[in-house]
This record gives sequence, C-alpha cells and structure tokens, in this order.
Amino acid sequence: MKDYNIVTPKEEIRISTKDLSVKYGDKLALHPTTLAFPRHQITALIGASGSGKSTYLRSLNRMNDKIATVEGQILFENVDVNQPKINVFELRKHIGMVFQRPNPFAKTIYENIAYAPRYHGIKDKRQLDEIVEKSLRQAALWNEVKDDLNKSALALSGGQQQRLCIARAIAMKPSILLLDEPASALDPISTGVLEETLVELKKNYTMIMVTHNMQQATRVSDYTAFFQLGKVYEYDKTVNVFTNPQVKLTQDYVEGRFG
Amino acid sequence: MDVKKVDHLAKRIIQVMVGIVAVLLVLIIGYILVTGLPQESIDFLFKPSQAVKAGGGIRDQLWNSIYLLILALLISIPLSLGAGIYLAEYAPDNKLTHFIQTLIEILSSLPSIVVGLFGYLVLVIRFNMGFSILSGALTLTVFNLPLLTSNIENALRSVSDEQREGGLALGLSRWQTIKGILLPRTVPEIITGVVLSSGRIFGEAAALIYTSGQSAPALNYLNWNPLSPESPLNVMRPAETLAVHIWKLNTEGLTIDADIVSAAASAVLILVVLLFNILAHYLGNKLERKLTGGK
Repeated sequence: MKDYNIVTPKEEIRISTKDLSVKYGDKLALHPTTLAFPRHQITALIGASGSGKSTYLRSLNRMNDKIATVEGQILFENVDVNQPKINVFELRKHIGMVFQRPNPFAKTIYENIAYAPRYHGIKDKRQLDEIVEKSLRQAALWNEVKDDLNKSALALSGGQQQRLCIARAIAMKPSILLLDEPASALDPISTGVLEETLVELKKNYTMIMVTHNMQQATRVSDYTAFFQLGKVYEYDKTVNVFTNPQVKLTQDYVEGRFG
Repeated sequence: MDVKKVDHLAKRIIQVMVGIVAVLLVLIIGYILVTGLPQESIDFLFKPSQAVKAGGGIRDQLWNSIYLLILALLISIPLSLGAGIYLAEYAPDNKLTHFIQTLIEILSSLPSIVVGLFGYLVLVIRFNMGFSILSGALTLTVFNLPLLTSNIENALRSVSDEQREGGLALGLSRWQTIKGILLPRTVPEIITGVVLSSGRIFGEAAALIYTSGQSAPALNYLNWNPLSPESPLNVMRPAETLAVHIWKLNTEGLTIDADIVSAAASAVLILVVLLFNILAHYLGNKLERKLTGGK
C-alpha cells in the first residue's frame, strides 16, 4: 500500500489550497495541505477528533484569523485569498459556513435570513422577501415555516434550526458552502432530512463538509479526504476511499479499527 | 442517614432559608407601607416641603430624585455600554485588562459616602460646580458606572461564541455582529441591571448629601427655562432628593411632623422604585419582542 494517495479531481475546480498549514502558537495543527475541490460536488473531510479537519475547513473562509497562524495559499476564483489585503468580510459572502451546533440568532425566522443581505446593501422589501422565500425553499424549510416567518427562530426544533442556518448561509448566494459537522447535534430523522437537503443543494453549490459519521460521508459525498494527526493521507472519490483505500491508515479508519 | 433522607433534609433547610428571606422582605416593605401610606394623600405629592411648620409635602424632592435618576442614567448608560462592550468583545486577554477589571470591582464596592465626598471635593469644590444636580448626577455616575459596566460585560460574555461566529461567517463586521446580534440578545439582562442600579440611585442619600446638597429651593413648574434658578430643569441648582429629605428629617429636621412626613416619604420612595421596576420590565419585554420576535 502507499503512504499517501491524493488525487486531483478531473472536474472543474472551484476552490483549492496549496501547502496550507495552520499553527496554534508553536503547535503545528495542520501540516502543509494541498487539496482541490470540484464544482457542485460534496467533499467530505473525515478523520478522528484532533485530526485537523475542522481546522482546515475553518481556514478556508478565514475564520481562523487572529486565532491561529495560517500559511500557504487558498485559491478561489484565481486569487490567493489567504493574504492580509483580502477583504475577509467580502470573502465570507462567497464562502458561507454552517456550524456544528445550530446557531440561529435571537431574531425572527425572517430576520435571521434577511439580516445579513440587508446589511450588505439589499434594502428593498420585495427583494428581501424573495431572498427569504428562495433560501428557505432551497433549505427545504419553507413548507414548515412559511406561516411563522415572524416567530422567533429559537422556537424551531434543532433540525429546523440547522436548516435555517443553511438557508441563512445560502441567502448570501455564496458559491461555496462549508459545513462543520452539520448533523452532529441532530437526531437520526433530522439528519436524514438534512442530508437530503444537502444532496439537493449540490445542484447550485460546492460543498465541503466535516463529518464524524462515515455512513454520512458515503451517503452524501462525492469526494472524501481522510485526515489523521494534522495530515491528509488520502483524497479520492468517496467510493474509492471507502471500498478500495490505497493507504493502510485510511483502511484501518474506515473499517472502524480506530477513531 | 440514607441518601433520600439527606436529600429531603437539605431541601427543607433551603426552604426554611427562602422563607426567612421572604418574610423579612414582606415585613420591611409591609411596615414601611403600613406606617407610611395612611399619612399619604395626593396632596402630599404635590405640595412643597416645609422647614419648620407641619403639613409639608415632597413635591420638589420627588421631582429632584426622578430628574437626578434620569440624568445619571443618561450619562452612565452610554459610557458603561462602551466600556462593557470593549471589555467583553475587544479587550485583549492581558494584564492591563485584568487590572481594569479589578479596578472596576473595587470601584463597585466603594462605600457611597466615600464616593459622595470625592464628588464634593472634586466636582463641588475643585470644579466649582457647587451643590447642584449636575454634581449629584456625575457623582451618581461614578457610583453607577462600575456596576453597569460589569453587568453589560457579563451579559455579553454569556452569549456563546457560536453567535459571534455565525455573524462573522455571514460577512458581518465585528461591530455589526455585536450591535445586531449580540446586544439584542442581552437586552433582558441589561434591563435588569439598569433597574437594579436605578433602585440604588433612587434610594441613594450618602453620595448626594455633599454633592446635590440638602436644600430644595421652591421650584416653579411653569418655568421651563433650564437657566433659570427656579426652573425644575436647571441642572446648576441645589436639589435635595427624596432619600436625602428622609435622612435629614430624621437627623436634623425641625419640622413638627417629621415622623409622619418621613414615613410617608419612605412609602413613596418604595412605591416609585417598584413602579420603575414594573415599567422597566414591561418596556424591556416589549423591546426584546421587537428585537428578537419573542419566543
């Protein structure tokens, strides 16, 4: 077997990193990592806790600024966005993020979605209404909440809150959606709904998703990257990673021998 | 003893303690209201106080207390909002920040008479403001700032980081995240802090005796020119507040019916604080519903 197996997808690449490394103080949390993510596909980042997968994900929209030292390149639309002169607030409009635990704002369902677009300059009520409806439809939440748009988002169930967070992220019309273990706080039924939603969203968005759940990775993702102790050992089509891994470590992990 | 019995006993002891606290509160408030309210008449609220004769009211003192409270809050809320936001959201986690936090803690436990004398020496004498509403309001600000600041700081700290990240991930700036997402969430806690400190301010006497003074020149409520000495809006006039009035009646009052007036004034003091409490919670709830869509 090989030491590393990292492929470059044949599809059009939407975002990629070149030798991206992350340090917390002196501690190297992520070794230089080079990965390319195909357009309108879901890539799963798997690995044990502390393997660096969330650290990597959070670096892509610069959420690690001020927390860690991130070196190397993040290539997005032919620009290295890991530079101090890049406007991160603008960047994050294009690279949305959904977090591990649903974090709706203490606002109405409508305001949760409309707040950021309005801040970014869309003041027209009709246009905002349209964004809210469209985002909720895409996140498969519209039918459940269309009569309650002025109720507090905190009254929704966990699964609904997480789909609201997805709606909130896609309301910004990002081209990339980062998902940090989006289903880890949800029950199996909500998880199922969420996964269906993600597969549906693939038509319009390039997604990168950290997950601890290997079944989930096989169910929804097209590509999978396996992280271990701050390094990527294997990156290939999901079906290859799970049925025919080229690296011993990956094989042990996907067969459940550690992790 | 088995676990069940210990548990039962602990619960009983806690219940007794709660009972003691509740009974004490009811007794104190009850006593003040029972002795004070029968002396009360609508008239009492609307006639000026008397220095010697019986039958004085508390019109000007009541107004002074309310006016001072409003001014003190107008000065201290924006300042403490700024300080609280800075400490919770921007301040680096270093020695200087800890030093400032320690200072704030010390300041908040300063005896009010000390704050009052400080106000007297610095504002009344050094800055030549004299015994005035302004001196009093600024002294109350010194007294109030540390409490409100740590209240706001703690309220913001209690909001989870996931909310901050949620805002930042949408491309909001840090300030926008604080203003639009964190602050609306903390409204109920901030309101509670403001109400508590308002109660303290309204009932404060020691800090005001040497700053806003102990005399209440008769006011003309038809005179709205803030520069005129008889105008209720004038901030440079001496102003005895309700709490100072009660203190004065009981220590050096020459009024014949000092007992009756001070009992009645105490009842008014408590009722106003209560009223303020209810009003603030009502407005707070409304504001929260407007900002957050209720729950």
